This record gives sequence, C-alpha cells and structure tokens, in this order.
Amino acid sequence: MSRDTQDRFAAALLDRESPVPQGLESWTGTAPPRRFAVYRNNVMQGLIGALASRFPATEKIVGRDFFTAMADAYIGKHPPRSPVLLTYGEDFPDFVAGFEPAAGLVYLPDVMRLEAARSRAYHAADAEPLTAATFAAIPTPRLSDLILTPHPSLAILRSAYPAVLIWAMNSGKAEPAPLTAWPAEDALVVRPHMLVEVHRLPPGGAVFLQALADGLTLGCAVEAALGDAPAFDLSQNLAGLIRSGGFISLRLEEPANAC
Amino acid sequence: MNKSLASLALAGSLATALTTLAAPAASAADAKEKCYGIALKGQNDCAAGPGTTCAGTSKIDYQKNAWKLVPTGTCETMKVPGGMGSLMQGPAPV
Repeated sequence: MSRDTQDRFAAALLDRESPVPQGLESWTGTAPPRRFAVYRNNVMQGLIGALASRFPATEKIVGRDFFTAMADAYIGKHPPRSPVLLTYGEDFPDFVAGFEPAAGLVYLPDVMRLEAARSRAYHAADAEPLTAATFAAIPTPRLSDLILTPHPSLAILRSAYPAVLIWAMNSGKAEPAPLTAWPAEDALVVRPHMLVEVHRLPPGGAVFLQALADGLTLGCAVEAALGDAPAFDLSQNLAGLIRSGGFISLRLEEPANAC
Repeated sequence: MNKSLASLALAGSLATALTTLAAPAASAADAKEKCYGIALKGQNDCAAGPGTTCAGTSKIDYQKNAWKLVPTGTCETMKVPGGMGSLMQGPAPV
C-alpha cells in the first residue's frame, strides 16, 4: 500500500461522513462500504475504550453516553500518534476545557488532569524513596542548601476547584456527598512503591514541592512557599514530603546567597 | 533572611516533622508484594511486564504467571487449590 493510500485510509477511519477510500475492495466483491463501516466503528470503540479506562472518574461524573460523545469528538481531532495507547489522551483534559457541552462542569478538566497524572505515575519507573532516617542524618547547618531529586512518578497539580475531593468521591475513595464548600485544592500524585497515591496538599504545599522538584534548594523552596501562602506550615509540609515518598535522593548545594 | 538563622528554623521544623512521622513500621505495613498463583480468573493485577496493562486478563483461577498485590510477607503463606502463593513467576497455562 502506498503512503498516499494509507493516509487516505486513516483519514477515512476517523471521519464518518467520508466515503470508502478509493480502491478499497472486499475479496467477496460485496459491500465494501458496509464492511468499512464495521471496521471504522471498531476502531472508534477501541479508542473510546482506551480513553474510558484512563479516565474512569470522568466517565462516572458525566455518564457513559456523554463521555462517549465527548471522546468521539476528541478522537476525530486528536487521533493517536502512537500504536501504544498507554499515554493516549494527554491533551484530552485541555480539549474538554474548550468543549462547549461540558462548559458547565468547570472542575472537570482538573479532575481529568488528576486522572492523567495517576496513569503516568502508574507507568513511571520504579525508584526507592528517601527514608525519614536519611533526612534525620543531614547536618543541621546545611539544611537550607538541600537539593532533592523527585521520584520519576511525581506530579503536582493545582486546581481552583475541589478537584481532588470530586475525584475521590467518583473513584470509591470517599463517600459521595453534596459539596458544602468549594475550596481550591492542590494535589501530589506519586507512586512510591506499587500503588499510585493522591495526597491533598496544605497551603503553600504545591509551590513548595514544585520548587523542590524543579531543583531549588530547601531554603529557596521555603521562601517561595511563604510567598505563595503566608499560612505555610513548614513542619507539616516536611512531614508530608517525607511520608509521601516523593523524593529519591538528596545532595547539598554549595552555599549560595540568592534564590 | 540570615543564612544560619534560616537553617536553624529549618532544623526545628524538620525535627518536629520527624517526630510527627510514625515509626518505620507504618511504611512496612502498607508495603505490598507481587504474589503469583493466587488470583481468581480475570482478577489478577498484572504480569506481562513493563509497559503493558494486563490487569484482569488471567484465563484461569490461580494462574501461575499472573499476580495480585498482597501485604508484604503474606504471599507465601497463602494456600490455594493446587499449591501456595509464590513470589516467583510461574509458567503460563497450557
């Protein structure tokens, strides 16, 4: 098959309105349009299934019919670039953010970003997290020069909505209930051992962990966190950091003055 | 902020953080291990190796090359029809 034929075949697969690609024949000589329609439907169902298995809470929130229609619209505009579908749908949340029928669900793209981060964490490389003992052994005067290496699975998400709680209520982690408050929520996603974990972060926590993940020193990360949230509680955040297993190695930077 | 003062404040917070952390036993308690040969048909976690998603694809009960996550230390004590749980992957079913 020539490159040109393949391109036309692929394009026709994702566009229901397009006719059967030119030159396509069935060996029995009958009804290529009908057979092609079956194949096209199978391809779409497969891709919709791949998205549904990556975004189960999203499917639960909007319902199967809505999800299928939304996925259908996405697939037409963003067909997979790889035969491996593990990371397919990376930009599905961004697509949904601009998808008119879902505009009323303002929190939905953030819930989807959380789900996408969870599956990335699931497939990230294994690494042994730092233990509390390692932190306890750092010479005190050098603490502010500490630089940490993030776990390969680590991701930090910020939402203007209670995206973590909504995700938890729709994935069996929390009892579904009416939301009485509508706070912004930040999340840490990490897979320290075998299971992907989602932690809701305290004030300033997202900026703190992101600064550390970006390679800033502990001293600079604390400054950044305090700038973001004056209520930043260092002890609470350090305990959360160590408990989460989100970092895998440490070193001490040569003392520097500026952040 | 003065450098040594900053480190001092950090040290205090780290000390508080370390005392609020539970003993290492807590992390051992949620540790899991892969246990082969114990999952019912279609209820395995996975086995086919990195980069694949094959959870729920085992064909028979207690398939030897499909695993399930169980608390660390409990796998080899699990008795199933035809044998015990194993930390090593067994052969594919014939």
